[in-house]
Amino acid sequence: METSQTFEDLAQVVEHELFVDVDLALRRGRHIDRDDVAWYGFLTDAQAQLERFYRRYGAELVQRTDGFFFLLPSGDKLGRRHLSPSEMLVGQGLTLLYLDPATVEQGGVTTREALLSQLSASMGTEQLMAAFNAAKKKRLDERVAQEMVRSRVSEAIRRLAGLGFVELLPDDRIRLRASLMRFAEPVRGSGADIEALNKLVASGEVALTEGDEGDDSEAEASSPGASVDPRHAPIPQWNEGAEWGSSFDAPPPDPDAPPEDEYRGPDADVPPEDEYRGPDADAESDEEPLS
Amino acid sequence: MDSKHLKSISYFFFFRGDCGPRAAEVTRPGPPLEPFDPPPADPSQPPATEAAAPTPTAAPSNEATALLALSARAPKLELSTLDLCFLATLYLRGQGAGHSAFSEEQLFELFEQAAQIVERDPSAVRKRATHAIARLRAQRLLARVDGAGVMRAGEYALSRLGASIVSFFLEDEVLTTETLTLLARTLESSLRDVLARARTTTDAATLDEAVVGPLKVTVHELMEGIERRQRGLDLQQEQFQKEISALLSADWFGAVESCQTLLESTAGTLRDLNHVLLSESHRLQAQLEDLQELALRHGAEASEEAIRRAADQIDRIAAWSSGRQKSWSDYYQYVHRFLRDVVRLDPSRALTARLRDQISGKGGKRFTLAVATTPAPLLLREVAPAPDRPPVKRPRAERDTAPDETVPVDPYAVIEDSVRQKLDAGAASLRDVTAQVTAELPEDERFRAAGRVAQVVARLARTHSDRERPWLPVDEAFAIEEWTLPRKDSAKAGRG
Repeated sequence: METSQTFEDLAQVVEHELFVDVDLALRRGRHIDRDDVAWYGFLTDAQAQLERFYRRYGAELVQRTDGFFFLLPSGDKLGRRHLSPSEMLVGQGLTLLYLDPATVEQGGVTTREALLSQLSASMGTEQLMAAFNAAKKKRLDERVAQEMVRSRVSEAIRRLAGLGFVELLPDDRIRLRASLMRFAEPVRGSGADIEALNKLVASGEVALTEGDEGDDSEAEASSPGASVDPRHAPIPQWNEGAEWGSSFDAPPPDPDAPPEDEYRGPDADVPPEDEYRGPDADAESDEEPLS
Repeated sequence: MDSKHLKSISYFFFFRGDCGPRAAEVTRPGPPLEPFDPPPADPSQPPATEAAAPTPTAAPSNEATALLALSARAPKLELSTLDLCFLATLYLRGQGAGHSAFSEEQLFELFEQAAQIVERDPSAVRKRATHAIARLRAQRLLARVDGAGVMRAGEYALSRLGASIVSFFLEDEVLTTETLTLLARTLESSLRDVLARARTTTDAATLDEAVVGPLKVTVHELMEGIERRQRGLDLQQEQFQKEISALLSADWFGAVESCQTLLESTAGTLRDLNHVLLSESHRLQAQLEDLQELALRHGAEASEEAIRRAADQIDRIAAWSSGRQKSWSDYYQYVHRFLRDVVRLDPSRALTARLRDQISGKGGKRFTLAVATTPAPLLLREVAPAPDRPPVKRPRAERDTAPDETVPVDPYAVIEDSVRQKLDAGAASLRDVTAQVTAELPEDERFRAAGRVAQVVARLARTHSDRERPWLPVDEAFAIEEWTLPRKDSAKAGRG
């Protein structure tokens, strides 16, 4: 539905039939681009009023020249999270595909296989496997590790689709959307990457994860001001009472000491992430704490 | 010769259903194969090539007959790329130089040229040419046309089948505004003639004669021509998309202008085609409606069917046009956005390189994006109070009870008493005794008790039986061998 309406005050915007859907989508982190014809038109028409509206919530309605809107909370009134390493990796891979002329032939449509191929070509297979199996304490069987990479990539694609970065089509095809350009934003400057990145960090649009490499503990990464949701705290894993008495004075672990090569039973190769961690674990399990 | 079209063509098709072991066979040296000619069409039936709904009763039998006839001839075609290129050489040379036939020497020479272009292998050309010519003749792609036989070296020409195959690969029939306008006007003119003739008719038979034939032949052929060109345009669009991608891959920023030109030209072509098709299809449909009215008035069913199929075909052509314009419009917008937002803003493709470095961990700090999130609403469960369970107790009462003393009942003694009573009462035969005694017992015990009754009777009374003891039923369930029992008083008298 096209809107070419001029909104004179916020009341008109709120009364518009699209307001509720657009507002909810923005608060859920959805990026709205030109492919969302009606929503994009509404946001363009009501941009001035909505910017003031969301500012009162401590959030900014951001519009990019690539042709998309998104909401960026900076205060503690609206929830905010950071994308997990796997989501970031998949998002960057999809952005590379978005920039690839070969994708132009298909009108911006790609597949999971093409994404995996792109990631594998950019990172190397070993690094790709390591990136998606970072939490593994023991070496996994190659087949299991590859299956886990595919599964995590699919999961990340699904989440990115929920955020409006891609659109899932039938037959496992993926339509790439303009909002993917957010993943390229920090490297978009003319060589002054650090400066561009610092600006984005200062604006709260991105956060640095240096030092967290390899830590894919998949925990919620809320902004400092955001209220902590107890449901998102990681649930302790089943440990057969191994930590019984851990509150007593135990010697601090030696960071340089080699990892204990203890027998962990026949299921030791099963990744801890695959264990059941409660009904909410799936929803927020792919996020990691920021330094 | 346009080598672009002939590159990597390996044309290999079978008209037989069993393309298993026969796929490797050399074309059999039997009688020359006739090109497939369908059996003469019944004027009342639709042509088999029409996609519009054929008459459900007649079409399958026609189809089966045609397939059986074809199968009986066991035709098959097998063409290598070189064979096809040789045919194409003959076709093009024939068109260019106006040759209607080629001498054997010319054939060898042209085969050598084709082999040189396609395989760059001039070895044993003459021998290979001999085999190729024999193959093509056996498959009726090349025919000897001089009729001189052994008298002198022959002259050869491409058959209709050979020329059709080559023209399929060489000729690009693409729908353009000019061809569409020409075809549509011709179609309109044909329909006008048909309508004029139809108006002069007075009954259904003459109307069918005036309408069915022209619609099936002239109109159908013209619309087939439009559809064939539509398929050509589809292929061309696909080629354009590949070309745009290749241009961008080869020369990122420098390809912007060429890409835009390609986009504009195709978009313009589609727009014009859509415009022509919209206006022409309205006119054609209006004429068909007039014809339909006449057919209805005269009750000419064959005409109605032919008109309906023609109308369906026009609808299909119009739907193709709007569908293609929509999909091309989406693609057009996407590529324009890509050129504007990606190519123009990153002319040196530095962004891709930096992003790739970022992914591989070679450059820059790692970062993550912030997005808004709304936690899912927390729904509290209804807590059902646990039911009061009775406390667990140990039974206090004595579980074992003292046994009661009871008099044992001997079933045999019971039967014996009963038999004795019946005998005393004057029962005259074993059957009487058995029937009376077992009548007091449950049904499932009667058969077993009958044996015991006979035993007791034999012990307590004198019995008499004939040489052949008759089997007499006691009740519905069983029968016994009969004994007679002499009465006590007669027995006593006998003894006295």
